[in-house]
Order: sequence, then C-alpha cells, then structure tokens
Amino acid sequence: MDKTDKSRRSFLKILPLGVLAGVIASVSGAAFRFLRPRLFAATDAWLDVASVSELTGPQPLTRKIVAEHIAGWAITTEEHNVFVLPAKNNQVLSTICPHEGCEVVWEQATNRFSCPCHESYFAADGARISGPSPRGLDPLPMRVQDGKLQVQYVSKEQETRA
Amino acid sequence: MTPRGWLQTTGAVVGILLLVQFLTGTLMAFYYVPSVDHAHTTVSYIEKVVSSGSWLRSLHHYGSQWLAVFAFIHVIRLFLDRAYTSNRTQWIVAILLLALVMAAGGTGFSLPWDARAFFSTRIAEGLMAGLPFVGRYARVWLLGGSDISTLTLSRFFALHVLLIPALIAAVVVWRVFGSNLARLFGPRHAIAGGVVFLALAVWCLKYPAPLGPSVAEATAEYLPRPGSQFLWLYQSLKYIPGGLGSITGVVLPGIVLTVLILLPWLKRARLIGASLLGAGVVVVLLMTTAAYLSDRRDQRTREQLSKQVAEEIAWRSKPFEPARLTLTPASTTTEAMHGGPPVMYMKFCVNCHGEHGEGARQGKLNFPPLLDVSAKPRRTVDDIVGLLKDPTAYGLEPPMRSFSTKLTEPQMREIAEWIVKLKR
Repeated sequence: MDKTDKSRRSFLKILPLGVLAGVIASVSGAAFRFLRPRLFAATDAWLDVASVSELTGPQPLTRKIVAEHIAGWAITTEEHNVFVLPAKNNQVLSTICPHEGCEVVWEQATNRFSCPCHESYFAADGARISGPSPRGLDPLPMRVQDGKLQVQYVSKEQETRA
Repeated sequence: MTPRGWLQTTGAVVGILLLVQFLTGTLMAFYYVPSVDHAHTTVSYIEKVVSSGSWLRSLHHYGSQWLAVFAFIHVIRLFLDRAYTSNRTQWIVAILLLALVMAAGGTGFSLPWDARAFFSTRIAEGLMAGLPFVGRYARVWLLGGSDISTLTLSRFFALHVLLIPALIAAVVVWRVFGSNLARLFGPRHAIAGGVVFLALAVWCLKYPAPLGPSVAEATAEYLPRPGSQFLWLYQSLKYIPGGLGSITGVVLPGIVLTVLILLPWLKRARLIGASLLGAGVVVVLLMTTAAYLSDRRDQRTREQLSKQVAEEIAWRSKPFEPARLTLTPASTTTEAMHGGPPVMYMKFCVNCHGEHGEGARQGKLNFPPLLDVSAKPRRTVDDIVGLLKDPTAYGLEPPMRSFSTKLTEPQMREIAEWIVKLKR
C-alpha cells in the first residue's frame, strides 16, 4: 500500500513536466520538418553569354549572364559574372572563388585572377597559383548554339557537393 | 477531484495556449514577409509548400481564438474566486492578458493579406478613426500614412510579433515571478492544459486555418467575417449607428477593462464586477449567436459565404505560385529580359516621347519621335548624352530640358544606347 502511494506521488510530480515536454515535443517535431532547409534545383537552362564572333584575344573576358533561381517562395533573377577564355577554346569559368565564395576579378596588370577576400591567385587559364583556394577556378558547362556561347550556371554550393 | 478543483486550471490552460502561440508564431516568422507584395505569397508558401506549415499555422490561428475564450473564462473564474481581493497581481495580470490577447488577435488577422485580412485592417482603421477627439490622429498613426499601405502591414507586424508579445511576456513574468511553479502548474493543471492542447492539435489536423486568394483578387461581393473571438464586436457594429462604432468597439471595452483592473481598490467591487462581467458574458454570447444565425438565415449571404468557401478550397488546391524577384541592376534587366526601354527612360522621357519612342502631339506642342534618330546628323550615343545634358547646344527648344541634375552619366548613356537602336 505504502509503495503504490509513493509511486503515485512521484508520478504526479513528473506529470506536469511530461505534459510540458509533450506540447513542446509535438510542436518541435513539426518545427524540424518546417525549418528543414530546402535544396534548390539547379537551373539546367542554357544561358547566353555572348556571340562567339566577339570573343577574341589572348585575355580572359568578363561577361554577364542573367540566371533564374528558384529559392523557396521566390523565383529570383540574378546577374552573375563569368569569365570566358578565348585563348582556351572559349572555356567558361565561374567567378566564384572555390575557397570561401568571394567574387574573383581579373587583374590586367599582373595577368592573373585575384580573389579580394583571402588573396588566392589564379593564372589566366584559371589554374591555382597561390593562396588558400583548394583548386583552380571552376569551369562551367558550356556549348555553342547558333553562333552563341551558352553556359549552365552552377553555384558554388552545388559545385562543392558534387 | 471536485469540479470546483478543475475550474482552478484555467490559468494553466491560458499558459499552455500562450506557449503554443509563441512557438508557432516564432516558426512562421522564419518565412513570413510583412510587405504587401510578399505577405500573401509567403503565407501561401507556409500553407501549401512547407512541411507541417499548414498545421502550425492552424495551431496559431485557432489557438488565438481558443486563447481568447480561455482568457475570458479565466477572468470570470478569478472573479468568482474573489481573486481581486485575495491576489491582486493574479487578477490584474488576467485582465491585462485578456486585453493583450485580443490586441494580438486583431493585429494578427491582417498579416496574411488576403481579402479577409484586408477587411479586418479596414475595420481597425474605422474603429480608430471614429475615436472621439483623437480619431484622425489615431487612424493615421495606426496606418502609418493617409491610407492602408505596405506601411500599415509593417506596423501591424511589429505590433503583433514584437510589442504585444513582449508585453504578454512581461505580464506573465510578473505573475510567475516569486510564485511556486509546482503549485502554479501542478498535476491537475497539467492534465487540463494537456487535454486542451491535444484537442487543439487534433482540431488543427482536420481544419487548416482559412486563407483566401490575395487581396488583389477579391471581388466587390466579398463578405468579410472576423475571427470567432471578434464576432460579438462585428455583430454589435451592425446595430450601432456609424459614429458610435468606435465607442462600442474600443472605448467601452477600454473603460470596462480599466474598471476591472481597478476593482481591488473600489467599493462595492462585487457588484460592479458582477455587472460588468455579467453584461460582457451576455453581450458576447448573444452577439456571437446572432452573428451565426444571421449568416444562416439570409439566403444571399449564405450563398455568397459558401461561394467564398468554395473559392478558398479551389484556391488551396492550386499549386503554389512563387513571386518573381529581380536582383540585377535595373539597366541589365530591362535590356536583357524584355528588350524594353531603360527604367530611367520610363521615368523621365516616356510621357512626351512615348513608350516606343513614337513621339506625341499635345495641342500646339510637338514631341518628336525618336525612331531612326540615329540616322540624323549629330545623334550618336555621345551626342544624345550631350543633348540630355544641354539641349540648347543641340538646337533643341523647351519643353525639352536638361537632365544633367536628374540622370547620372551611365543612365544617360543607357538611354542613348537604347534610343539609337529604335527603328521605324
């Protein structure tokens, strides 16, 4: 008799905590699903970079592309820079530094790409020269269609996961 | 356990429901955007796309209505227990909570920005505008301007998710501070709170919170209805001549709540409190019932309301439509995306020279077309930029004026580059 009385009392003691935990747990369970980050499908659209005829010369060229991204409740239209290497059969390079994702710029004077954030340097063909970047600038999928150079834009996140 | 004992648990139920409101509200803030162009999109996104979004939003929506009911019952229970003499803090906290919960419900209803939300905002506007003496100012202060706009939505958002919850938290802390938590939330409280939460959770699995098409799609026939906790007010406003609506909706409840807060210090407290609360219960029950009945009785109202429900169901089953955001400099978008005129052309030039550079004639004034203008002498891109800076140097007369203070050099160049491409 004494024993059941004791267990009854301890049950009553933890009951409030149990109910609180139950409420919080059921909302938290939903919260976990609710807040789960969403993978955005990579856009596989081919985006115009430039006419092949205007891509000449020994220097890398900076060109703008306009890409659409589906990001949650919005479709965003963003402008990105890409590098075109006419000297390397119009290979297209991402301007995103493989290190921390800063935007790399072409330095005419020193004939190299440099990252403004952590001083990674890349040669005119995109190969890594020095600095913390783990590799050279990433090439983007490209093709020539009706005399136009086109790329598929891939963000850094997808690059590193691949 | 006596029934009387179970009545002691109303405060705990209010506490649990408040906890649910805080949790679900915080979660929805992870997606919601308080702006007239995205509010409805983001709420639809929560409703249609995000996992568990519909349930969490439903918990918040119906939870707010249950909360109002339990906060009211809690006040009545405390009055019956004469808490206004035995525990003043508890009494005042309960009154303040009831007021704050109603305020939170009122501001929250506007946030989804569907037709229902828009009309709720309109009513809030009308109630403020009708206040004696301060009406004009109260209205524009609430709206953030002379009319309902995106500023209004921001204000309701700030009130709903920052100011009012902070006040509620402060009031709750005041109540809980120094109390014995185990006595405040004992086994019986826990059971009552748990049962109410379970009922709410199951209810919300079955009934999603209402959400209609965005305000923009609302038709003139739309019949707005408030949340259940405001039905009494909605119905009362039908019987009261226009100007007195604010007295009923804001001033009177304000006075009642103030008197109730002061009850511990009043003589004949029992009588005053009993009459006020009694009248309150009667008005709320009577008017809420009347609201339900009048919607049932009138056939046209009934048909329109069921049409609205059908529209909402149809809209709900449509796939989510994302918003389009343009994050590029204005120049490249207009050019690259549409081939249309630059933004600055649309701002300064289009009124006279037309959307396609076709020109126009207004009385005696002749605005020349810009088509094929590059074929004329002194009309290269550089010339046009120079001309935009100093028209007279290029032999042009007013009304063509200089834009050197209005446009930057790149903007002029962008316009010029677009103009030279115009062909007949």
